[in-house]
Amino acid sequence: MSDKHSRVSRRTVLKTSGVAAAAGLAGCTGGDGDSGNENEVEVVHWWTAGGESDAIQALIEGFEEEYPDLSVNNNAAPGGAGSALSTEIQDRVLQDNAPSTFQIWPGGSLQTYTDSDVLASLGDSVWDSEMEGAYKEGVRDLSRDDNGNYVAVPLNIHRLNNLFYNVDVLDSAGVDPSTLSSPADLLSAMETIDAETDAAPMAQSTQSTWTVLQLWEDILVGEAGVDTYEAVLESGVEENEDAVRSALQTVVDYRDYFNADAGSVAWDEANNDVINGEAAFMHQGDWAAGQYDSSEDFDFEAQWDHVPFPGTEGVYHIVTDSFVKPEPNPSPDATDAWLSYVGSVDGQERFNPIKGSIPARTDVPDDAFGPFLSRQREDFDTSNAQPATIAHGTGVSPQVKSDVEEAFASFAGEWNVDRTYSDLTDAF
Amino acid sequence: MATNQSPDSEPPPTETVSTDGGLPAETTESTEPTLQRWTKSEFVRSLPFWLPATLLVGLFIYGAIGWNFIISLTDWQGLRRVTYNPAEFDLDNYFEFFSKVVEGGLLGGPQEYWAFRNTFVLLILFTVVALIVGLLLALLVDQKIRFENSFRTIFLLPMSLSFVVTAVFWAWMYNPSSGMINEGLRLVGLGAITQNWISDPQFKLFAVIFALIWQFSGYCMVVYLAGLRAIPTDQYEAAKVDGANTLKMYWRVIIPQLRASTTSAAVVLMVFALKAFDFLFVMFGTQPGRSADILALMMYREAFDGTANWAYASAIATILFVLALGIISPYLYRQYKRGAL
Amino acid sequence: MSTLSALQHNRPDWSRIALYVTLLAMIAFYLSPLESGLMTSIKTQAGFQQTSPFVPPLPGQFAIEPWIEAFGRLQSGLVNSILFAIPATILSATIGSITAYGLTNTNWRGQALILMVLIAGIFIPYQSVLVPLSRFWTIVDLGSLLAVIPPLADRSELIALTITHTAYGIPICTLLFRAQYKSIDSSMIEAARLDGATIATIYYRIILPLSIPMFAVALIYQFTNIWNDLLFAIVLISDNSNDVVTMSLQKLTGSMVSQYNIQMAGAFITALPTLLVYIIFGEQFAEGVAGGGA
Repeated sequence: MSDKHSRVSRRTVLKTSGVAAAAGLAGCTGGDGDSGNENEVEVVHWWTAGGESDAIQALIEGFEEEYPDLSVNNNAAPGGAGSALSTEIQDRVLQDNAPSTFQIWPGGSLQTYTDSDVLASLGDSVWDSEMEGAYKEGVRDLSRDDNGNYVAVPLNIHRLNNLFYNVDVLDSAGVDPSTLSSPADLLSAMETIDAETDAAPMAQSTQSTWTVLQLWEDILVGEAGVDTYEAVLESGVEENEDAVRSALQTVVDYRDYFNADAGSVAWDEANNDVINGEAAFMHQGDWAAGQYDSSEDFDFEAQWDHVPFPGTEGVYHIVTDSFVKPEPNPSPDATDAWLSYVGSVDGQERFNPIKGSIPARTDVPDDAFGPFLSRQREDFDTSNAQPATIAHGTGVSPQVKSDVEEAFASFAGEWNVDRTYSDLTDAF
Repeated sequence: MATNQSPDSEPPPTETVSTDGGLPAETTESTEPTLQRWTKSEFVRSLPFWLPATLLVGLFIYGAIGWNFIISLTDWQGLRRVTYNPAEFDLDNYFEFFSKVVEGGLLGGPQEYWAFRNTFVLLILFTVVALIVGLLLALLVDQKIRFENSFRTIFLLPMSLSFVVTAVFWAWMYNPSSGMINEGLRLVGLGAITQNWISDPQFKLFAVIFALIWQFSGYCMVVYLAGLRAIPTDQYEAAKVDGANTLKMYWRVIIPQLRASTTSAAVVLMVFALKAFDFLFVMFGTQPGRSADILALMMYREAFDGTANWAYASAIATILFVLALGIISPYLYRQYKRGAL
Repeated sequence: MSTLSALQHNRPDWSRIALYVTLLAMIAFYLSPLESGLMTSIKTQAGFQQTSPFVPPLPGQFAIEPWIEAFGRLQSGLVNSILFAIPATILSATIGSITAYGLTNTNWRGQALILMVLIAGIFIPYQSVLVPLSRFWTIVDLGSLLAVIPPLADRSELIALTITHTAYGIPICTLLFRAQYKSIDSSMIEAARLDGATIATIYYRIILPLSIPMFAVALIYQFTNIWNDLLFAIVLISDNSNDVVTMSLQKLTGSMVSQYNIQMAGAFITALPTLLVYIIFGEQFAEGVAGGGA
């Protein structure tokens, strides 16, 4: 902010942009105002409500204990994943006023930032060999830019390919979820539930695009396998046309078994149906379990349980949040400390149980995690693939993500496989 | 007739008050130099009144419009500062947009066509229907009912709410199983026409427009009510004497008198139609799908959803601005000529 | 005529009944979304899960906590919003009035052009100005400019927001006032001119008193828009302590978890000032609109 280069480029910009009045003012201040305390880490994130804000608070407290000379400015962006934060961050980066660090999905979402070289490479001060060893390869890959430098530190991992279910509803329909081994099996199970009970076989929200998109993703993995799925992420849909179309068709088939108000409710309202016994299955990331935990008389294994989405055993479809270090950084050393802490055992142990996710590191002790999360951790440790996701930013660049979401936004209303397939070919 | 006099001139001696509309006594001309006369002219004397505003608006609003236009001529993307190279300015972004619109219209596919079409539909349908609903409500309320003030206040209340709030309410209203709309239809025996108002692409946009009309028809009602009350009662009487039946009377006599009301209400409504972005954003995020996408959302998506396509977004913004102006200007111009503006 | 009305009095006035029924149905229609929000805000989380938003909370589900929690989290936002919204409202309305006067009740060429320029400015989409706006305010570093007065420097973001909203509110206010000023009897003004009044005097003595009703409209309209704005606030305010209430309200929205009862309570608290303004000043609003429309 205060270096000559930016001052000069500002003036140049103003002269040529013809904003006459602004040009008159450009001479005065130059914008090298107070860039903030060097020992203060400004953390921008979207965890503003409920358990999430408690989780980030715990992380901050742990950090401040570990580094007493440093302080944290908890500058949450207005809530709701993504948009408001993205607006604020993009804007601030443009003005050379980036915060010390901000929350972002690693992998694909980083591209906008790395293409413009605004993220600092993280060297050994953050990614030392001890930390590297504690991360799985797939997760580490997401933290790197195209040149192989580390630019992000993942904090938590949520699983996407879950099938939650209400035990009582399944019992009364006589369905045993452990026997489901493919999305087609799930379809017939839903037929059975529809016939035997009053409950909606699957709770879903089609008002938001991402829930439909992530369902399609997991159906694709379940039907065609992880390699096909990753090939689609990498190079588009055309080479795997049949698999893509089949997965789309399956979503359309599932739709007959969604709750009646799927189009007007958010996913958590739909999740209430599972809690109330009005729906049987729910496909959602494991943050949904947080809702079950906070409900009265709705306990793990007794009233609700979980299996990996049929066909995706051995796959841990990850959704992860990470922190990065933008450049120019108002507090470079303090930010390095923050990032180290985010990637440390202590930090991840404090944050993840409250957040309802598993740590990105594999060596965090298990004690603080409840039975469901412990089970998830086991699955993660033994998983043979940890693919990224489109819906949650890690799998593809933001441009592709936006176009794919556009395709699915129309899909979620029209349910037309052909049209959506052609939209998808344009998207990738 | 009164002449055009500069306000500071002394009242001219009576023999020089001309009746031809010309300037008064030559005495003023010969004693005051031109510069002084100019500084005392209406133009200069009224400067302090309108100049500050014009400068502020010029800076903030037109500065932004100008910036948008210039950016749209570049190909700026990403998070590094833009480099202005006038040699490379071109209208590519506009060509891209309109070719996608045409492609979308003919072949389906690019969403630009839908965003463009929907914006158009939203702007016009919302404004016109809100005006009509407001007029009907005003006609009802004008019938010397009791508690008129309370009715009026209640109809106005929705306008005071932010879209952030009303979007959530309306998602509940439109819930196919438990929402008020469908429940209401079932209540009066019209259960057969219940729909998935906001998930069925056929109805989505209209459901949104309906919700927006709910929010702003109260304002139209108030404007029209005032307009109706301002019509002298002898006009009503005269029409009745002429033997016009009620409908004709309203059409021929009343509605033309409401021109000025309609103008001001239409402008305000258009402003809110442009703000429909907030409503759609809260209800559907940045991806409402083909059936309800509008240019404002598309613009926001291209810029801020991590994609940082600033130049393209600026082109869309400019197009949106021109579209809005294009719709309202002919109307405003007519009203200006009629003296109603 | 009187015979006719006498005849009419002897049978039940179906048309009156139909009128009231229609109006009451409209009332229900206009209020039901609000009712659903209100009901949700006084339920427990469990209550919300189990019942439709429109039904009142059952005995075990009633809770006042959402309001308390929402208020706690919105407090500073409310203060900040008041700090910037009131000056911006007053300024934009006042400048609008003055500008409309300068363009309507005075005589000089080129009025139409300036007027067109101003009115066209009404239709700019706010989303498109976010980046140039924040560029501008980064360059014009108000915080440093005001550094001599620390309390002001701390609030420099709010001041920037005020100035921005004032500028963006001028066109519509100008239009509103012009509509009224155009209808002011010009002979009054001419008479004043003959008496030697300056343009300024005419404004203070004649126009301003007549504008009071329209001020009510402009103030109410602007207050609503400015209070409810979110986008400008997001880009102009980065310091948490300067968050305005719409931003604080957005922060009640979780990314993965929604607490609808708190959100709804927060929404009502946020809406309270504007609701009150409409309820208390509805009369003046209606009168003022009359001035503009007639």
